[in-house]
Amino acid sequence: MKGPNLAKMAWRNMWRNRRRTLVTLSGIVFGVLLAVLFTGLGDSTYSNMINMAARLGGGHVSLQHPEALERGEAPKRSIAGVARKVRLALADPEVTRARVRITGHTMLAAGGQSRGAAFIAFDPAAEDASTLSILEALQQGRSFERSDERGIIIGHKLADHLGVRLGRKVVYTLTDRSGEIVTGLARVRGIIRTGADSVDSGICLLPIDAVRGVMGYGPDEATRVAVFIKDQRRSDRVAARLGARLRGAVAVTWFERQPELAGFISMKVTSTLFFELIIAILVAAGIFNTLFVSVMERLREFGIMMAIGFSPGRLFRLVMWESLWVGLVGIVMAAVATAWPYHYFHTRGIDMSAMVSKGGAEVAGIGIEPVMYVSIYPENAVFIAVAAVAATLVAGLYPAWRAGRVAPVESIKLV
Amino acid sequence: MGQPIIELEDVVKNYRQGHVEVPALRGLSLEVAKGEFVAICGPSGSGKTTALNLIGALDAPTSGTVRVEGNDLAKLSRTRLSNLRRDRIGFVFQAYNLIPVLTAYENAESVLALKGVDAATRRRRVMDLLAEVGLEGLEHRRPDHLSGGQQQRVAIARAIAADPAVVLADEPTANVDSETAEKLLDIMQKLNAERGVTFVFSTHDPRVMDHARRLIRLVDGRVESDEQRS
Repeated sequence: MKGPNLAKMAWRNMWRNRRRTLVTLSGIVFGVLLAVLFTGLGDSTYSNMINMAARLGGGHVSLQHPEALERGEAPKRSIAGVARKVRLALADPEVTRARVRITGHTMLAAGGQSRGAAFIAFDPAAEDASTLSILEALQQGRSFERSDERGIIIGHKLADHLGVRLGRKVVYTLTDRSGEIVTGLARVRGIIRTGADSVDSGICLLPIDAVRGVMGYGPDEATRVAVFIKDQRRSDRVAARLGARLRGAVAVTWFERQPELAGFISMKVTSTLFFELIIAILVAAGIFNTLFVSVMERLREFGIMMAIGFSPGRLFRLVMWESLWVGLVGIVMAAVATAWPYHYFHTRGIDMSAMVSKGGAEVAGIGIEPVMYVSIYPENAVFIAVAAVAATLVAGLYPAWRAGRVAPVESIKLV
Repeated sequence: MGQPIIELEDVVKNYRQGHVEVPALRGLSLEVAKGEFVAICGPSGSGKTTALNLIGALDAPTSGTVRVEGNDLAKLSRTRLSNLRRDRIGFVFQAYNLIPVLTAYENAESVLALKGVDAATRRRRVMDLLAEVGLEGLEHRRPDHLSGGQQQRVAIARAIAADPAVVLADEPTANVDSETAEKLLDIMQKLNAERGVTFVFSTHDPRVMDHARRLIRLVDGRVESDEQRS
């Protein structure tokens, strides 16, 4: 393109008032730092919550009876051919694991006490804490050794309510597929303490084959296959792919199964975005102020430039280059300045235990870790960088337009 | 007189100062031919700078016609006026008015770059011009590292770099010492003689008037005298 090198001129112009430029750049650095830390905190926390929810029983995607979502889980809403469904799920490149489970509600009774609870029946040979998070909260006892073992693992508050401890007998009452009431007997093999009240007082674990026997299910029958995927954000795509290939079952995402959790996260993400928008506006206002003052100080210079043949469009582009440089240099400085705090909070986290009540914090039954780590999704980091540069460009529009509107003679008179 | 490249016909220019209209030019008419070395002089407020601003398409008259190389400036768009200034008019200002972030070389080169002249030609031409105005070896200095006289030489090099039809110089010697003023005038006279560049000055400076071959005296926005000199 003909004409003087505007990028070079803009670069030099940017450093004419070094102190003012550094103040503007520090505004960008501060804004980006805040945005990265807040977004990273959100990304990490919400992702952990979603993964935690998935590991609480349903996976990121649940293959289940077509009516189970709308009408609730019930023994008669089981799915057959679960082994084939597991193979189908594992054939998907984004799926890491698929586990068979029976879930539902039961009434537990011991020593004259009784209590309702949700249950998750699983195969102890196939599951550990990586797919069933409750297992990592095992405070006493052990997990099951066999899938047909007569054992039960219960929350510590549930144990207190029932007045049982390890080795004691508990009777669990279920309904079978025909609606008949059936009972099973189990000894307490483990007691869990998650910190989430709804789990500690309302959930028990059972061995899957023992439950199949009680409920009259076949060996290839269950209420769901919990599917785990590499990136929880792709749950809907994986569900759509699996759903298209299933017969007699549907693929349901975590956010369809747990709309309260999805709503909470959505609200938090929106509020973070709003917060970031305010940061962007404040940063843009600072940049606007700098650029506008810088343009107004140089009206005479722009007038001279117009006199020697610079067109209004060229002056507009010159100032836009200046704002682009401010944005780009600001982003580079922000990246450098953010690296250490990000690394610190990414590895050490922020310990919120002092702000969490003794019983622990939970959202929609999902416990929140007291130590929160900062871990931003790469695309969100890119978004923040692009947004910061875009904000500087938007802030530069009016000053740039103003520079192009200079009347040469008026500005030259300003001696 | 040859074919005029500058024509002012009954030009009136009024400025507003608050609610008052102040006349700067009151029906000014004059012509300048190619190759002339003209000084417009007169007391403060006589309309010298206003006349130069109108000729340079930096301002528009209240009434009357200003033509440069036959182009009626009132009929040109902002972009065409900008192109006219770039291609056909060179400016030398009293306060030098170089672009502070460009070196001496880049300042002189800027108008050629705006015209789209290729880099090799620009380099050759600018280096020749800087040598001609006595700035060899100072090409890479920015204006704040040049004296007033040196800055004005860069301004002259910039003004003539693009082979303009006319160079308009507004009090070009006002901010330099006598010795420098003489040197600047010698340079401009030499460029006028050797390259045929037309120069129009507005000035109070008797030294400039002494060098001029035509002296137009303005009083109260009108031509009081127009004198050809040997």
